[in-house]
Amino acid sequence: MFGPTSGPNKLVSLPEAVAHHVHDGDLVFVGGFGQGVPFAAGREVIRQGRRDLTLCRTGADILFDILVAAGCACRVKFGWYGNPGIGLSHVLRRAVADGSLTVEETSNFGLLLGLHAARLGVPFLPARILLDGDVPAHAAGTSQVKCPFTGETLSAVAAIRPDVALIHAQQADAAGNVQLWGIKGDTVEGAEASRRVICTVERIVSSDVIAQSPSDTVLSASMVSAVALAPMGAYPSYVEGFYGRDDAAYRAFEALSRKPNLLADYIKTTVHDPASHEEFVAAMQAEGHRHV
Amino acid sequence: MSDLNMDAPWRMAWLGAKQIVSGEVVFVGIGAPCQAAMLARRMGNDNMTMIFESGVIGANPNEMPLSTGSPTVAKGAAMITDMLGVFALLQRGGIDLGILSGAEVDAAGNLNSTVIGPYDQPKLRLPGSGGAHDIALLARRVMILMPHDPKRFVSKVDFITSPGHGAHSGRAGLGAGPAVLVTTRAVFAFHDARPVLLAHFDDLTTEEATQGIGWDIAVSPDLQRLPVPNPSVAALIQSFSGELQ
Repeated sequence: MFGPTSGPNKLVSLPEAVAHHVHDGDLVFVGGFGQGVPFAAGREVIRQGRRDLTLCRTGADILFDILVAAGCACRVKFGWYGNPGIGLSHVLRRAVADGSLTVEETSNFGLLLGLHAARLGVPFLPARILLDGDVPAHAAGTSQVKCPFTGETLSAVAAIRPDVALIHAQQADAAGNVQLWGIKGDTVEGAEASRRVICTVERIVSSDVIAQSPSDTVLSASMVSAVALAPMGAYPSYVEGFYGRDDAAYRAFEALSRKPNLLADYIKTTVHDPASHEEFVAAMQAEGHRHV
Repeated sequence: MSDLNMDAPWRMAWLGAKQIVSGEVVFVGIGAPCQAAMLARRMGNDNMTMIFESGVIGANPNEMPLSTGSPTVAKGAAMITDMLGVFALLQRGGIDLGILSGAEVDAAGNLNSTVIGPYDQPKLRLPGSGGAHDIALLARRVMILMPHDPKRFVSKVDFITSPGHGAHSGRAGLGAGPAVLVTTRAVFAFHDARPVLLAHFDDLTTEEATQGIGWDIAVSPDLQRLPVPNPSVAALIQSFSGELQ
């Protein structure tokens, strides 16, 4: 019996996926929204020493901090950047103070519309935001446009076309049909806007399993460049049906990220000491971590 | 400096919850806005629809979430769409009430959640707009929640993240600017872009209700003195607020 797709096998190791699809200087969309933040892929980007990346998403969380503190990024594009529900980003605070990071900020809807324009294949979208207050002056790719039908003035939000998207999902088949359920936020928007998509998953399933619930498929094989198996790959964020959000880890990060030396230690022990994602998970299990 | 009794966070949650009208579709953020909405629901406002920017519609979290994408936001919700779905609803006028907070507010209801100090050399770099700018311009009605901490009530915010009344130039947004400002002590409206004291708790004087806030505040001729709720309300709020209360 034939599965729902034919097409090339996209299943590779996480190091291979990053090596082939993430390049120095890339504009990188980082997926996940509360759920499914692609931490394993982010840590692999650090291990491979990528530089001069621009990181992009609506609500940026501590994976941005880790990538920025590890020296991978020179620029960030966001609608919000902090530790959700806990507070501001100490990494962003220090980087703004020492001028080491270029900040392009807009509102969440503004950033989302930029991604949506790219998803639609149009150079910009009109909107009813970014015309008042101080955000528009600092939002890259924001202008104004007169509606040719009504004559009203709207903002014009330029398309954001990332080079590569890093996303994490529950499951995919080897062809690259990705199934993600629960809260997705802007994950699909960002993935479809991007030239290449790397998807890590909790498990690889057969094409028959995909075909049993096609409404759970959010990206079809042709939209995906590489699939890599990475169980626990979104930890300390969560994956519905697999593991919960480790709020305590986010709280601990607030304290340790206040001090650059503690943050450097954290990156050493969680990114560089384990040679792979599998070693990271094994080390967390050895510590008896309740979520892993 | 806040007074611990006058400025217990649950007092603002209660005043805020009372402002949410039955049946309203409410765009909720993390922290105080979520707390007020969750309390309203538990005070009998069963007909309100809570919406989170992560794409969750008809949410009914059982505890205060840290992220709009937290598992408790998803659990028991009526619908999970994507982020574009809820911002599309906002832009086409489908949100009755947006609840916002911020680091600073000025007398025109402008909110700052971006930087304290100059933008390029800030004294404090904050997380930025998130959805706040969008909600400020597009929700039919906006409620601001701001604890009574006088240093947050400034004559001019350092950065207008979420435009209030003064900043509306040729606005293409739908909303009419902030309708109401709620503190831990009092409730204000904006008339002709100026704050008007509408009500305050009856355990403090009218002077105390605005103490330390250096704005030119009119007092409504129909000023209400609100009884402080039964201690069971504070306990109720505590039961779902975790460390936030």
